[in-house]
Amino acid sequence: MSDKAKDFFEAFKAGKMSRRELMAGAGKLGLSAAAANFLLNGAATRALAADFNWKKFSGEKLHLLLNKHPYADAMIADLANFKTLTGMDVTYDIFPEDVYFDKVTAALSSKSSQYDAFMTGAYMTWTYGPAGWIEDLNQWIKDPAKTNPNYNWDDVLPGLRASTAWNGVPGGELGSADAKQWCIPWGFELNSITYNRKMYDKVGVKPANNLPELVETAAKLTKDLGGPYGIGVRGSRSWATIHPGFLSGYANYGQKDFTVSDGKLKAAMNTPESKDYHKLWVKMIQESGPKNWSTYTWYQVGTDLGAGASATIFDADILGYFMDGGDNKEKGNLGFHAFAANPAAKAPTPNVWIWSLAMNAASKQKDAAWYFMQWASSTEHDMFGARKMDFVNPVRQSVWKDDEFRNRIEKSYNGYLQQYEASSPGARIYFTAQPLFFDVTTQWAETLQKMVAKQVPVDEGLDQLAASIDKQLKDAGLG
Amino acid sequence: MESTSFIERILRGAALSLIVIFFLFPIFWILLMSFQTNEEILRIPPSLFFTPTLSNYAALITGKLATVSGTLDIAFMKNLWNSVLLSTASVAIALALGVPAAYAFARFKFRLGEDIAFTLLSFRFAPPLLVLLPLSLYFQALGLTDTYVGLIWVYQLIALPLILWIVRGYFEDISPDIEHAYRVAGHSWGRTFLRIAIPLARPGIAAAGLLAFIFCWNNFVFALILASADKQPVTVGALAFVTASGIQYGQIAAAIVLSVTPTLALALYAQRYLVEGLSLGAVKG
Amino acid sequence: MTAAAVKSHEAAPRRRKANLLPYFLSLPALLVCVGILIPFVTAIYYSLLRFRLNLPMLKGFIWFQNYIDFLTDATFWHTVRVSLLYTALTVGVELVFGLTIALLLQKPSRVNNVISVLLLLPLMTAPAIAALMWKLMTNPNFGVLSYFVQLLGVSNFKWASDPNTALFTVVLVDVWVYTPFIMILLLAGLRSLPQQPFEAAALDGVPRRFVFFRITLPMLMPYMVTAALFRLLDSIQQFDIIYPMTQGGPGDTLLVFQVRSYLEFYQYTNVGKSAALLIILWAITYALSNVFIKQWLRLRERARGLA
Repeated sequence: MSDKAKDFFEAFKAGKMSRRELMAGAGKLGLSAAAANFLLNGAATRALAADFNWKKFSGEKLHLLLNKHPYADAMIADLANFKTLTGMDVTYDIFPEDVYFDKVTAALSSKSSQYDAFMTGAYMTWTYGPAGWIEDLNQWIKDPAKTNPNYNWDDVLPGLRASTAWNGVPGGELGSADAKQWCIPWGFELNSITYNRKMYDKVGVKPANNLPELVETAAKLTKDLGGPYGIGVRGSRSWATIHPGFLSGYANYGQKDFTVSDGKLKAAMNTPESKDYHKLWVKMIQESGPKNWSTYTWYQVGTDLGAGASATIFDADILGYFMDGGDNKEKGNLGFHAFAANPAAKAPTPNVWIWSLAMNAASKQKDAAWYFMQWASSTEHDMFGARKMDFVNPVRQSVWKDDEFRNRIEKSYNGYLQQYEASSPGARIYFTAQPLFFDVTTQWAETLQKMVAKQVPVDEGLDQLAASIDKQLKDAGLG
Repeated sequence: MESTSFIERILRGAALSLIVIFFLFPIFWILLMSFQTNEEILRIPPSLFFTPTLSNYAALITGKLATVSGTLDIAFMKNLWNSVLLSTASVAIALALGVPAAYAFARFKFRLGEDIAFTLLSFRFAPPLLVLLPLSLYFQALGLTDTYVGLIWVYQLIALPLILWIVRGYFEDISPDIEHAYRVAGHSWGRTFLRIAIPLARPGIAAAGLLAFIFCWNNFVFALILASADKQPVTVGALAFVTASGIQYGQIAAAIVLSVTPTLALALYAQRYLVEGLSLGAVKG
Repeated sequence: MTAAAVKSHEAAPRRRKANLLPYFLSLPALLVCVGILIPFVTAIYYSLLRFRLNLPMLKGFIWFQNYIDFLTDATFWHTVRVSLLYTALTVGVELVFGLTIALLLQKPSRVNNVISVLLLLPLMTAPAIAALMWKLMTNPNFGVLSYFVQLLGVSNFKWASDPNTALFTVVLVDVWVYTPFIMILLLAGLRSLPQQPFEAAALDGVPRRFVFFRITLPMLMPYMVTAALFRLLDSIQQFDIIYPMTQGGPGDTLLVFQVRSYLEFYQYTNVGKSAALLIILWAITYALSNVFIKQWLRLRERARGLA
């Protein structure tokens, strides 16, 4: 970059120039809009450099393990700025999402030092943490010598900070005082309703306000639309079926997966309230869910909505966001709606999935890796991703206050911001943190499948599920 | 089949057509999908009519995938190259090791001979997961993690037993008389093996090599667990089009077409060996 | 084969028992594989441990407790049943189907040869990716197969999603992928059968059904056993098709060995249980193959006698 161009951007950063002036000026300097955006973020990155020795690990080489995801794409688009800022080199391995976590488990369990940092979800850290594969990041966050003064950790949404911190005790409360910060929230999704506004208008219904209403609305949509079905939710035999809409609604009815007393866990899926909730859920799928429900994952739920095969989904808000753009048939036709499943509840309680960054305990250059992690989770990068890329939902409060970001969303995504604002206060992880997370949720999904296929009645199925989980807890010394 | 009647010929033709449709329709459909955009693929109901596009292939070959949020690099051609490298090298090594061993089992009755043969076949019994579980630890210690050498070694589990058993059968079919005559004429054992036995068994070796190649080509779990992203085969590469913002079916279809092409070319080239070469230890007339 | 040939075949080279040459020829192959099999021993050791990666403090030697837990667990026996049923169905259907096709293509002609190679196409598409396509083709909205089924008047066919049709669906995919493998082996066998018995039978006017059951089939047996053996080894360890299509569901309908042990290891990080499960699978595979190989050796001797 020429010095002239550089001065120019510094002037903008210092508030001496409006954004429009900047863009016009950049045009005169012969820079394309895209290049200008990148350089602009370069200026923001240099602003980061104040009062902190970013060059400390200059010349070191980091290696990352990434999932093929828009968040990773946004990071890669901005990565050159990190390299300039620190003088470090960063390489990465990207694996498809379908096999990503297998790769992570394989890499971590072999104690390989190949990867310094990697993408993960919070649930996975309940395995990686106790296994000793990842570091408690408080050691770095709380050390002013290692973390730049502008990092502003408290700017990260409190629910997310808490949800990624756990003391490692089975059943231990997330975000407790003695919790270890296993990973840094990076981007996240909460669960709400995305619906097809055209189809809703055609049938003359409004987005449902609670689960009993949703069951009815979905049935009416299925009947009246003559083709598309009413409600898409996931159904595959996997933890991924439990954590989105299903658990969000479950939590809204005040239900828990476990009760914890004296450090012992007990399965709590077979309370009368839980049984009623399950009955509603099963009925909804049987009447108006996808025909091949038990094979439905994130992809099928999204694809159906985007291609006009379903009228509603109760799933991640960003899944709706993706389907409202791109080359999807229903792009621009979707609407977003916060959802509290329980008619008696005051507000939504969406369970969240948090793509986060974690540090490999076997890494040989942890301090350098932390440099990358604090940059990648900085306000500056978060802002860049949110404004220019699909880094949605950002995890920082300051980014949610940014007008440019808000305007971009407001303009193209009908009701997304309102949905977000109504949902986010209650958004956190509603699972009990414990090492049998994947065993329990897989079996839960299996039980749901049997209920929907009418192989077992809801009451009986839940009693069996609870009994089986209690036995496993006992075997593992947790129950 | 001199006695085939007209009706029988019709019936045979009809049966064969049904079979061809059953096996090739999905392939045909995938081929069609590879020329469609995702929006066209996801139509209700599915339709045969569309405007063909080469964009899927263009994206795969140039390595640039245009999305709404910008251009992404994809490494499909690199994946394809890895598959070629891994499968070819693995089959070549499996042939170098397997053909002499197959010859030994076919021509000599030796102590523990059948036991060794069975042990070699039994490598097929080991569930891949069982081996992979501890293997990553060993590879770490041996420095073989993330190397082509390590992967090619593991691929022997797929290729070697197959080659051994098919080629063994073939050697057993060939009368040893010619080899004898050659030996009697004063040639060394090594010369006999290279000049007589191998050329005679060439169809069997070609057929076994091709099948082993196909099975190596289709594997994906070994590389996934044991190597980094730049050494992944097409099988893993094709999954890259399953992204959070949707499954790119058109590109997956194009990826399948591109990944099948080399093997198909090889099979068509080796066509005459393929059928002739797979006689497995029964007697030739 | 002439009598002289048979004689020399039996006599000269096979007698060189004291020779070290065969060991020299076969040991490299063995050594290369044995290196890979060291992990196998480790896995046996793991299977005797209570060993879950995310509960490290529980790690300890427990002898055969993992095995005992499985043997007394009803869901384990379900896994055994499904795995064996899947294997029997796929190997059985593929053998019959593969033999039929091989018989239809028996006569060597250019058309038949090209068809036989084209029929290998399903084998060349990696099952892990083909499964994605099958999932799309059986999707009730966009799927072309679902569309055909609807045209036939079946409106509520749920493919892999219904416990009653899930097994059918994955077996269908397996048959699609692997029948060509059996077909090509049997075709090779058919074409290499000696002609004399058939010519003699034709001269004597023996009915064709009799020829098929009394001459063709017995002579083809070694091929069928080999083909079945290789399929059996893969089929009982099925993962590539079932996991992407159903993840073992719906319910526990398709929870076969490899899917289950995959979940135990990669999702639950329960190394001990996963290893025990795989060792049991290995033992079953070993026992079944042993039967097949004995059969193969016997049939081969007999086929030799027949000719």
